[in-house]
Amino acid sequence: MAEDLVLELKKLIINTLKLEDIAPGDIENDAPLFGEGLGLDSIDALELVVALEKTYNVFIPDSEVGKKVFRSVNALAEFVKTHRA
Amino acid sequence: MWGRFTFGPSGSTELAEVSGRGPNRPCGATVMKYEETEIRVRFNEVDSWGIVWHGHYIAWFEVGRMALLRKFKLQPQDFAQMGYIAPVVDLKCSYKEPARLDEEIIIRTTVFKPTKAALTFQFEVLRKRDRKLLVTGEETQVLQALDGRLLYYIPPDLQKKLQNLFNYLEVPVSPA
Repeated sequence: MAEDLVLELKKLIINTLKLEDIAPGDIENDAPLFGEGLGLDSIDALELVVALEKTYNVFIPDSEVGKKVFRSVNALAEFVKTHRA
Repeated sequence: MWGRFTFGPSGSTELAEVSGRGPNRPCGATVMKYEETEIRVRFNEVDSWGIVWHGHYIAWFEVGRMALLRKFKLQPQDFAQMGYIAPVVDLKCSYKEPARLDEEIIIRTTVFKPTKAALTFQFEVLRKRDRKLLVTGEETQVLQALDGRLLYYIPPDLQKKLQNLFNYLEVPVSPA
């Protein structure tokens, strides 16, 4: 189940941000999504937040919460699992 | 003073003398109102080739943006009073024809209604004499709290003020 959610989130990230050259397998479960790792930026964060709300009805108010949630795909999956409606 | 932009389906901007409005435009184009601001090219803005140095157009975008935002008390100082700043995170500028010393210039400014917590402005710079399109541009700003947090949602107090701006420009929702 947790693995399914991780894969689902990787696909959501790729589709939302149109990361055409990246496959789910290229995203490490524990690698940071912003800065290093996938190297996403602030606009990417805003896009992701909208997609996560639409898909899982989870609310991430700002970067203070975001830096914990987007620490890795695993961290994101844990947040979604805990907060999804 | 204001008029209308026409944005084509590809997101490209074409200069439009628009008399109609709304969804009846051909090719699925969306019509948006814009604010017009006039300036005159100053001596210090012209380079040794006799044309406006490319960086000045960005400052002209700012002139247009401020003229628009001033009407709705949405200038940087107003944002700061509400506890926010709005840093620019993306800027595009496309040069078509140069402007020259002492020419009268029109800056057209409009904004997309956000689908996320960011504001995207679009600009056209025209020569007033013949309405020749010289430069187009686009600028995106995000929202930060004064403590440095990037805001992932537009707060209700700001959303309310922005709505007046969107109503004025009859802004459609951003294309996905």
